[in-house]
Amino acid sequence: MNPHELSEKLLAAMINADRTAAAALIEQALAGGIGHGQVITDVLDPAIVRLGRLWEDQEMSLAQNFVASKIAEDTLLRCIPDKAENSHTKGAVVIGNIEDDFHSLGRKTVGLFLSAAGWDVHDLGNDVTAEELLKKAVEVDACVIGASAMMQTTALNIRKLRQLIDERGLTDRIKLAVGGAVFNWRPDLVAEVGGDGSARNAIEADGLFMRLQTEVRGEVPT
Amino acid sequence: MNSYQRVMGTLSGQPVDKLPVFAVLGAYGGKLTHTDLRTLFSDASAYVAGQQALQREFGFDLVMTPFVYTAISEAFGGETAWSDTQAPNMKRPGVRTAEEVLSAPLPDPQKSGLLPVVLDATRRLAGLYKEQVPIIGVLPGPAVMPSLIIGMEQWLETVLFDEVLARKLLDHTAPFFVSWANALLDAGADCLVITEGMAAAEIAPRALFSERFLPCITASFAQINGPKVLHHTGGCINHILDLLPGLPGLVGVAVGSRDDLAEARRLIGPDVTLIGNLDNLSFPSASADKMSELSRSCLQTAAPSGHYILANSGADIPLTTPPENLRAMLAAAAAYSKERGSIV
Repeated sequence: MNPHELSEKLLAAMINADRTAAAALIEQALAGGIGHGQVITDVLDPAIVRLGRLWEDQEMSLAQNFVASKIAEDTLLRCIPDKAENSHTKGAVVIGNIEDDFHSLGRKTVGLFLSAAGWDVHDLGNDVTAEELLKKAVEVDACVIGASAMMQTTALNIRKLRQLIDERGLTDRIKLAVGGAVFNWRPDLVAEVGGDGSARNAIEADGLFMRLQTEVRGEVPT
Repeated sequence: MNSYQRVMGTLSGQPVDKLPVFAVLGAYGGKLTHTDLRTLFSDASAYVAGQQALQREFGFDLVMTPFVYTAISEAFGGETAWSDTQAPNMKRPGVRTAEEVLSAPLPDPQKSGLLPVVLDATRRLAGLYKEQVPIIGVLPGPAVMPSLIIGMEQWLETVLFDEVLARKLLDHTAPFFVSWANALLDAGADCLVITEGMAAAEIAPRALFSERFLPCITASFAQINGPKVLHHTGGCINHILDLLPGLPGLVGVAVGSRDDLAEARRLIGPDVTLIGNLDNLSFPSASADKMSELSRSCLQTAAPSGHYILANSGADIPLTTPPENLRAMLAAAAAYSKERGSIV
C-alpha cells in the first residue's frame, strides 16, 4: 500500500474511532519501508487535513476530537525515535491555558495536532500567566502564542497578554492565537481579548498558525 | 400564587398565574452581599444570605442550593482553584486512574469536605423558603461524575478505549450520585437539576450518549426520590431530546441557547417542561433592551404550548451582568403573562 492509500485507511480509522486499526496501519507503513518522518508527513498529516475538511461544516464533539488526537498521538510516539531524521520544523510556538483556566483537554489536543503538523510546540500547561507565556515565546523565538480558555471569565485574562505583547513592541513579531469552547460560542470574543485569530477545533489549528506565521514573516498569503 | 406553586404547577402542567422565570445565580449572591466567593461557597450562612439578597433584589422563582461541583472533586481528594470572578474550578483531580477509583471506598456525603456545608445551606434554605419558593438542588450527573474524580481526559480515555472499565466505573460511582441526590432532597430540596455534561452535543455524539451513558442515567434516576430536571451544562441537547421522555422522575429539560426551542418541544413531547434558552454569554454584554427582546423571542416560541420556564441556558450567570438585564427577563415574562392571562 502506498502512503496515499494508507492515509485514506487511517482517515477511516479516525472516523470510526478505531485506535487499534490505526496503530496496525502505522505498523504496516513502517514494515513496508516508509520512513518514520514520511509516515508523519505523508500518512498522518493528510489524514488530519482531510478530517478537518470533512468536519468543517459540522459540529465535532469533544469525544470525536479526542479519538482523532489519540490516534495522532499514537502515531507521533511511534515515529518519534526517528523524528530527528526530519530536521525541518515549521517553527516554534508556545501554548498554554491562560491564568486561572484549568480546562486542559482542548489545549493538549491542539498541541498534539500542531506537533503532528511539524511545529516545535512548547506547552506550558494550565494557569499560565501572560508574563510566562510571553517570556517563553521570546526565549524560543516563537512566532505564535496559543492561549486557551474555556470560560468567558478566564478568556478575558488573555487581554493582559495582548497588552504585554503590544507594550513590548512585539505586535508584528508574535501573533496571538486564542481558542477554547467560549470562542466557538462567542466569536466576537476573539477580537475583544485581542486575538489575531482562532480555530474552531484542534484540526484547524495548523492552518491558523500557518496563517499567523505568514503574517509575521510579512509574506502575502497564498 | 407564590413561586413554589407557580413552578410546581408549571412542572405538573397546571394553570399558573404567570410564567415562571429562573436565573442561575450562585456567585451573584456574593456580589450582592459583598462576600468573596471562597467564603460564599464554604460557609452555609454566607451562601444563604446571598440567596436571600437575590430574592429581595430580583425575586426569581427559585432559590438554588450551592452548585459547587468542586465539593465533589474535593470529596474524592481533588484540589480546587478559587477565583474572585467565577465559581471554583477543579485544579487537579483526586485520583489518577479509573482502576484506583474502583479500589477505594466512596465518600460519605454527610461527612466529606464541603458536602456537609451544601447540605447545611439546603436545610437553611428550606427553613426560610419551604413551599414559598422552590428549593432547587443542583448536582452533576452520573455520567459526568467520573470526570470530577479522575479528570475529563482520563474519563474520555476510559469511555472511548476501555468500555468494560468505563462501565465498571459508572457502576461504582453511581451509588455516590444517588446518595448525594437523595441527601439533597432529604435536606429540603424540592426538585433536582442534574447537570449532565455527557448529554451535550459538544461533548459526546448521540450514539455514545445512548449506548454508554443513558442506561446509567436511567438506572440512577430510578433510585432518586424526587422530581428531576436534566441540564446540558452549557451546550446543545436537541440531538438526544427524543431519548429522554420516560426517564424516571424527569419533569424538565434545560435547553441550550443554540437549540431550536420549537424543535425541542417536538422532540421531547408535550408533557416535559422546557427550561431556557437565553444565552449565558449575552448577559454581561447585551443591553437591557436586547435581553428583553431575546426573552420575548423565547416566550413567543415556547410558552404557548405550556410547560415552559424562561431561564438562562448555562451555568452561573457572569458576575459582570448588569442587574437591569436580569430585571429585563422578569419584566418580559410578566408582560407576556399579562397579555396572555392564565398560563398553562
